Amino acid sequence: MSNSITLRYRVMALCLSTVLGGCTSLGVEPWERDELAREDMQLVTDPVEAGLDDHIYFSKEASSGGRGFGGGGCGCN
Amino acid sequence: MSTHNKRIIAASLATATCSLLGTSVVAPVQAQEDPGWDFNTALLYYGESDGRVQDVSLNVLARRAFVDDRFLTLGLAVDTLTGATPSGALAYDGPQTFTRPSGLATYTTPANQTPLDDSFLDTRVALTAGWQQPFARLYSFNVGLSASKEYDYLHLGANLGLSRDFNKRNTTLSLGVAFSQDDLEPVGGAPLPLSAMLDVGDLSNRSGDQSKDVTDLVLGLTQVINRDLLVQLNYSFSKSTGYLNDPYKFLSVVDGSTGDPISRTPAPGDSGPLHEYRFESRPDERSKHSVYGQAKYNMSGKVLDLSYRYMSDDWDIDSHTLEARYRWPFGDRRYLEPHVRYYTQSAAEFYRIGLVDGATPPRFASSDYRLGDFDAMTVGLKYGWKTRSDNDMSIRLEYYTQDGSAPSDQIIGNQAGRVLYPDLDAIIAQFSYRF
Repeated sequence: MSNSITLRYRVMALCLSTVLGGCTSLGVEPWERDELAREDMQLVTDPVEAGLDDHIYFSKEASSGGRGFGGGGCGCN
Repeated sequence: MSTHNKRIIAASLATATCSLLGTSVVAPVQAQEDPGWDFNTALLYYGESDGRVQDVSLNVLARRAFVDDRFLTLGLAVDTLTGATPSGALAYDGPQTFTRPSGLATYTTPANQTPLDDSFLDTRVALTAGWQQPFARLYSFNVGLSASKEYDYLHLGANLGLSRDFNKRNTTLSLGVAFSQDDLEPVGGAPLPLSAMLDVGDLSNRSGDQSKDVTDLVLGLTQVINRDLLVQLNYSFSKSTGYLNDPYKFLSVVDGSTGDPISRTPAPGDSGPLHEYRFESRPDERSKHSVYGQAKYNMSGKVLDLSYRYMSDDWDIDSHTLEARYRWPFGDRRYLEPHVRYYTQSAAEFYRIGLVDGATPPRFASSDYRLGDFDAMTVGLKYGWKTRSDNDMSIRLEYYTQDGSAPSDQIIGNQAGRVLYPDLDAIIAQFSYRF
């Protein structure tokens, strides 16, 4: 493995550990999850509606995905 | 709905899904023995103005929870599409005649109207199946399959995801990969890129079936900030290879000084186009990079959902998407949810409103409005309520509009006074029922 690739992996590992390290000071205790557990606090509250929107915008715009995989699988684009 | 009926629907859905995916029907046996299905259904109408695309879509997503946080998900979507879609040709002061995609007939667009291909008629059936389960205390994995079939299109896909929790499960890192293999069987055959539109019955510029492969990768970080705030940050990479053209789109060939389409005469005794048109040509590779961020914020029971996506690809398209939802509960069982979405994109490097007669033809060219420079806006409102039996119902109504423009350095002569970009207005209406 070349030095540049080794360096790249080290930088990625450093970034990841920094992010995860920074995250340790955030968050809640398990008994404080009442609000977060609510259905309307989930990242995707309605998967069918999210899928329909992804499908509409995939077929009308040049971008797709981001939240998850692109809304492909059709001949509409 | 009774548990018995739920079991019947679940079993039917599982049978349909597994039949298409070519796997043996195992899941329904377990499903019938152990109830616990959750059904998310929706009926959607999407309608564009001016007789353009209309879609009625029926969707069912069934989710079965098993012990130890294991889930089976089965989805079915049926779309019925009708209407017309812009062909890519430019509007002109006189009528224009085109050969249909089948190559067996012609149609004519009246003067000063954006040419639309009105042979847009299709039914799409899509099936998905997924399995999710935790392992080794802090890990979770999911696998999925997808398939969809249209008259001229077959999609098969598979996906795999892995996630790990950190920091008392306040942080989740996830990695997902998806592969799809799509086969195209265009009506009349796929036209050769940049080949001319020919007379009726002449299919010498058509090739056989085509295919494309898409690989997606998503790396995600989800973080609980505090009791009321949750954020997510994703990076996505998508690579498409193969036939990436729209086989039904073509460009007008225009005069270099007037900008008017070049006249053409069909062979004696034949009918065919009365102007010159050439089928589009796109690169056979595309790589997209996206960064997506989302925040959910609870404000004393009201929830604000904000998201932003930046996408950039090697076709020179950059896009920004901003979206906001605000769920506002009232009473014990009802809520209103306004929704706003703003989208803007730059044009692909090979986007052309037309091809200039006599000039060296570019290697790639497309006048597909979806590859142009445009802004889009969605505004909508959703009203949801819980029924007496504690099932969820909602209706939503949205308005979607696109406003684009032709690149000023491509506008020639008489084109300046014509509509060069087909703006779009659409209504989205949806009824959802979850039980």
